[in-house]
Amino acid sequence: MTATVTPPPTIPPVQKRAQGGLRGFWNAQPVVRLRREGAMPPLAAFLVFFVVYVIINPELLTRFQLQTASNLVVPLAFAALAQLLIVLVGGIDISIGAIMSLSNVVFATAMVSLPVPLAILAGLATGLVCGLFNGFLVAFGKLPAIAVTLASAFIIGSISREVMDRPGGGITEQFYLATSGELFPYMPVSLFWLILAAVGLWLLLQRTALGRHIYGVGSNVESVRAAGLNARGAQLAAFALSGVVAALGAIMLAGSTLTGDPRSGDPYLLNSIAAVALAGASFAGGKGSILGTILAACTLGLVGNLLFFAGINSYWQYVIAALIVISVVGIPVISRQISTAVRGIKA
Amino acid sequence: MTATLPPASQSDGLAEPDDSDRRSAFSRITSRVPRSAWPLIVFALLFLIGGIIRPNLLSVDSLIGTATFAMILAIASFGQTVAVIGAGIDLSVPNTIAFAALSFLTWSGTIGPVPALFAAVGAGAVIGIVNGLVVSKLGLTPIVTTIAMNGLLFGIVLLSFKNSELTVIPDFLTNITATKLDLFGVKIAAVLPLGLALLVVLQLILSFSGFGRSLFVVGSAPETANLAGLPVDRIRITSYALSGALAAFAGIVIVGFYAQASATMGASYLLGSVAAVVVGGASIFGGRGSMVGTLGGALVLGQVATLVSVANLGSNIQQLIYGVIVLIVIALYGRRGSE
Repeated sequence: MTATVTPPPTIPPVQKRAQGGLRGFWNAQPVVRLRREGAMPPLAAFLVFFVVYVIINPELLTRFQLQTASNLVVPLAFAALAQLLIVLVGGIDISIGAIMSLSNVVFATAMVSLPVPLAILAGLATGLVCGLFNGFLVAFGKLPAIAVTLASAFIIGSISREVMDRPGGGITEQFYLATSGELFPYMPVSLFWLILAAVGLWLLLQRTALGRHIYGVGSNVESVRAAGLNARGAQLAAFALSGVVAALGAIMLAGSTLTGDPRSGDPYLLNSIAAVALAGASFAGGKGSILGTILAACTLGLVGNLLFFAGINSYWQYVIAALIVISVVGIPVISRQISTAVRGIKA
Repeated sequence: MTATLPPASQSDGLAEPDDSDRRSAFSRITSRVPRSAWPLIVFALLFLIGGIIRPNLLSVDSLIGTATFAMILAIASFGQTVAVIGAGIDLSVPNTIAFAALSFLTWSGTIGPVPALFAAVGAGAVIGIVNGLVVSKLGLTPIVTTIAMNGLLFGIVLLSFKNSELTVIPDFLTNITATKLDLFGVKIAAVLPLGLALLVVLQLILSFSGFGRSLFVVGSAPETANLAGLPVDRIRITSYALSGALAAFAGIVIVGFYAQASATMGASYLLGSVAAVVVGGASIFGGRGSMVGTLGGALVLGQVATLVSVANLGSNIQQLIYGVIVLIVIALYGRRGSE
C-alpha cells in the first residue's frame, strides 16, 4: 500500500508540493486511524473493484441496479459489522447466521399479527437475547467463544426452524419500500439505513467509554482489568450489541426478500468472517475498522454480480472470495519476506 | 491437568460444603478414569436409558444400527481430531467430503476405483497442505483459513462437476462400506470393521509415533515446542494434510454407504465433526484429544439421534440437543486457563 504513495527519490519541485499535499493527507489524523485499523487494503480493494465493475457494467449507475446491488450488499454489511464486534473482543461468532435466521423468522412471524414497530422490536429483542446468551457464557462462564457459538449455532438454528418450518411470514409491500426502496432518486433506502447504523456504531465505539473498553478488552484484557475497568461487562456488551446488529441485518434481509426464511442466515456465517478478514481486522482482537468492514462486505457481496455481468460462471465467486481473503492477508507477509530476503542479499 | 482437579473442585464456591468430602473422594476416583473413556460410559448409560424407555432398543441390532451411523460420523471426525489436537480447527471438512466423493465417482469411471480412491485421498491431502501452509506460513487463523478453503472448494465443486448428483457407485466401494458381513450370526455393515481398523492405526500414530507425540506438544505449547527444536510448522502442515486426507476418505466412505453424492452432502459434518471431537473429550485449545474419545463422542451423538427418532421428535430437536450437549461438555471441561 504505502509503496504507491511514497515519493520516488528524485522529484521535480513543481510536483513536490502536490506530493506534500498528498503526504499531508496521508498523515492526517483520521487517515492515520484508518491505516492503523487496517482499513486501507479493503478501501483500495473496493475502489479497484468498483472501477472494474463500472467498466464492465456501466448500468450499475442506473437507479434500478443501484437499488438491487445495495439490497444485496446491506444485509451482508450488517452481518459483517456484527461479526466485527465479536472479533474486536477477541472472539469469533459461529452462530451469526443462526441469529440472523431466528431474528428473520421471528420478525416475519410477528409481522402477521403485530404492528410494524412491535415486530421490529421483536426481531431486535431476539438478536439481543441470542447475543446475551452467547455473551454470558463467554464473559462470565469463561468458556471459549468458538465452542459456545458453535453450540448455540445448533440451538438457535433449530429454534428458528421450529418457529417457521418453511419460508413465509407477513411482510408487506410498504415494508419493502421502507427498507429496500429509494429514499430519493439514486439513493437506495437500504444504504441510508446502513449508513445510519454505521455512524451510530462508529460513535459508540470511538466516542464512548464502552466503545474504548471493547477495543481495550480485545487488545489486552489484563491491562483493562488492572485499570479497574469492567472487562467482562465490555465483552458482554459487545456480544449483546452484535446480536442487535445481526438482527438489523436480518430485518433488512426480510424486507428486501419479502419473506422470512429459517435458513436465510446460513450463507452469512462464512461471508461475514471473510468480510472481517478482508477488512484487515485482527482475529486476536482489538483491531478493526467499521468503514473497512462495510467496504469489504460491499466488495465480497458484489463479486457474484460482477461475474454475472462479465459473462463468467457466477460459481467462480466462491473461489474469488476465498482468494481475496487469503491474498489480502498473504501479500503483506510475502512482500515483507521478500524485502527481508532482498536486504539480506544486499548486506 | 487431571491431577489438580480435586482441590480445585473443593475450593470451588459452587460445591456444596457438607458433601465436599464425599465429593473429593468421588472425584479422586473419577480423575483416574481416562478422559477418552467418559464418552463411552455416557454412551453405555444412554443405551441403557433407551432400553428402559423402549425395551426393544436393548438389542444387538439396535446397537449395530447406532454404531454404524456413529462410525460414519467418527470417520468424518478423525481428521478434525488431528486438527484440534494441533490447536487448529478444520472447517473445510464439509466441502472436502463433497469434493472427494464427487471426484472419486468421476475418476473411478476412467482410471478404476482403487487408483481413484488414492487420487481422491491425495487431493484431500493437498487441500490440507494448502490449509497448513496458509496457517503456519502466512499466519492467518485456522478458522478463517479453513472457512475460506471451504468456500473455495464449494466453488470448485460447483464448477467442475456438471451434474452434481452422481449415483453410479463402483462395486469395490460398496464392498468395503455398505455390504453386510456375517459375524457370528450378526449382520454388520463393512464400514464398521473398516472404521475400527482406521481408528486403531490412527490411535497408534497419535500415541506412539514421533509425529503424534510432537503434535500434542505443538498443540498445547507451540512456543515450548519451538524452543525444544521441534519443526512446528512442518508438524502443523502435516496435521492439516492428515486432516484433509481423512476428510476425503470420509467423503468416499459416505458416498459408498449412502450410495449418492451431491455438492452439499458434507454440510451436516461442519458442526457434527467438531461436536463429536469436543464431546470426545478433546480440548478446543489443542494438546488434548484421542481417536477413541472421538469415536465415543460420535457414539453419544448417534445414540442421541436414535433416542430422538424413537421419541418422534424430528431432526430439528436432534440439532437442538446436540447443541445443548456440546454446551454441557465445554462447561464441564472447556474453561479457559485459571483466572
